[in-house]
Amino acid sequence: MTNHEAMIVFEGVDKFFGSFQALRSVDLTVGRGQNIVVCGPSGSGKSTLIRCINRLEAHDRGRVVVDGIELTDDLRKIQVVRREVGMVFQQFNLFPHLSVLDNITLAPRHVRHRPKAEAEAEAMELLERVRIPEQARKYPGHLSGGQQQRAAIARALAMKPKVMLFDEPTSALDPEMIKEVLDVMQELATTGMTMIVVTHEMKFARAVSNRIVFMDEGEIVESGPPETFFENPREERTKRFLSQILQ
Amino acid sequence: MNAPPVRERSPIRWLHANLFSTWYNSALSAAFALLLGFVAYRGLRFVFVTGRWEIIRRNLTLLLIGLFPRDESWRVWAALFLVTVGVAAAAGALRKRALVDTADELAPASPARRTADTLRRAAPLVLLVVTLFSLRPEPLAAVLVAALVAVAFVSWRAGVSLPARRVRIVVAAGVALMLGALLLLSAFGGVGWDRWGGLLLTMFLAVAGILFSFPIGVLLAIGRRSRLPVVRAVCTGYIELIRGVPLITLLFMAFFVIGFLLPPGTGRPSAVTRALIAFVMFTSAYIAEIVRGGLQSVPHTQTEAALAVGLQPIPTLRLIVLPQALRSVIPALVGQFISLFKDTSLVVAIGLTELLRVAQVLTSQGDFRGQQLQAETLIFASFVYWVGSYTMSRESQRLEQRLGVGTR
Repeated sequence: MTNHEAMIVFEGVDKFFGSFQALRSVDLTVGRGQNIVVCGPSGSGKSTLIRCINRLEAHDRGRVVVDGIELTDDLRKIQVVRREVGMVFQQFNLFPHLSVLDNITLAPRHVRHRPKAEAEAEAMELLERVRIPEQARKYPGHLSGGQQQRAAIARALAMKPKVMLFDEPTSALDPEMIKEVLDVMQELATTGMTMIVVTHEMKFARAVSNRIVFMDEGEIVESGPPETFFENPREERTKRFLSQILQ
Repeated sequence: MNAPPVRERSPIRWLHANLFSTWYNSALSAAFALLLGFVAYRGLRFVFVTGRWEIIRRNLTLLLIGLFPRDESWRVWAALFLVTVGVAAAAGALRKRALVDTADELAPASPARRTADTLRRAAPLVLLVVTLFSLRPEPLAAVLVAALVAVAFVSWRAGVSLPARRVRIVVAAGVALMLGALLLLSAFGGVGWDRWGGLLLTMFLAVAGILFSFPIGVLLAIGRRSRLPVVRAVCTGYIELIRGVPLITLLFMAFFVIGFLLPPGTGRPSAVTRALIAFVMFTSAYIAEIVRGGLQSVPHTQTEAALAVGLQPIPTLRLIVLPQALRSVIPALVGQFISLFKDTSLVVAIGLTELLRVAQVLTSQGDFRGQQLQAETLIFASFVYWVGSYTMSRESQRLEQRLGVGTR
């Protein structure tokens, strides 16, 4: 893979919370259009890793480069990256005081300065895509968890991002709603979107991802294509994790 | 088969269950009924029979506008019309947007119920107007009040019929009309507010105090959470300093000290301006603390979500954090505004004659001196304060309910 095709590059990234080290010299390259699943026990640094990509967390050492732009304290660069990177959270984090439609059109209107009518038309298309057009005028509080998460995906997509980050998107959902969210994500993966997904849904990982990254204690322990990862894990820690999660 | 059990309800059953279930409950109910009856009897008897309301009737103009020159009193009416147009049109436009943005779940269904709802909301105000007219039935005033109601209705309809995206313009026009009313009263050969009095002065101090102290308070609250140490220190220092001083002290300070602080040569501000400065300084500090509480109640994940979609920090604050923060503190905010409305009576201390002061002075003047009419004047003043406070309180509950539509 040439450097031109790399969408996201981590080079020797360290991140501390006080004296706790959340990331330990992480090296990772994600190619354009790739779908990476990040897994690992809780507290292993998965969320921190993807939150460094849109600088919700600032890394302390090393380099993070997104689409050729290195993230530093330069606010303008952070802004450019955030416009290109969409994020979906575990707890949805929709804006409760805005209707679903307003949640989706907010960024296009106020960041890209798109006219309201156009932004709304596009938002409706996105809602069709995540299969909840009938919820457009409702408030997030009136939607089920699965519907809220799909609205959140539509909100992230409204900025036409080049990268989508998913931070445990199904962990807060009731079991019967997980599938509807995963279906939307799976469909998104087929469109060539670069995706980094933190999840424990191993079926999804197997079906959709190009590569699985296993993290523990802030380090990337092992990574590889799903077949090798599931059938022939190299590391002892990976085997232990897989045996716990796949039983 | 599985219908919920029907509970029989009749007034007698209710009485029995709630008031006369045991012998001691019956005794308590009877005792309180007697007490209530007695108080109500005495109260009503005073209002309708024994009260000597002549003092209010003869001095009504004084109570309403103080020593505002009588030849210029048309300005008060004209200002009232401007304010009515502005407020009604803005309210109509906002109502329209509420209807467009959401399927308004709380709107009463039928026109008849909507009218009833409006009447209920306006009841205290109507009561005030009826009281004023029963004290002094003036045909001209009646015509003008009728015209005011008509103008309010027309402006409201105009506000509703405007396209929803014009809301901002209409609201701005409403504010402009209020400023116009102020100019009409004070400029163009009008009467400066240092010569206002009575209810007019009370309303001016309260409305201007609210309009200035709210934005300043919000800015102070944001400043107190700033990342810049200097801004944070200044805002925190201001808030804690002001909150540590009694309002009356601030009023005295504004009256006696501001003169020293101004550069020589600048005109001395009038007593009313000084009082207004004191009220704004005081109230903005309290509003800042209320708003800070609201800001803290908005989870940090909301900010993260806004930043993640590419919003910059200031739009994030304006569009995401502040609306949620303010919504959660409406009751406390309105409480503060009601306090301000009533605290305007403290300007007595620096010699201004607002409503309460006029009411007091009346009892020791002219024919009414020594007649012990304090009860009448105080009850009238209290009634006017109550109408204002209760209206604000009710409207805030309504606002809270409406805005609550989208909460989690």
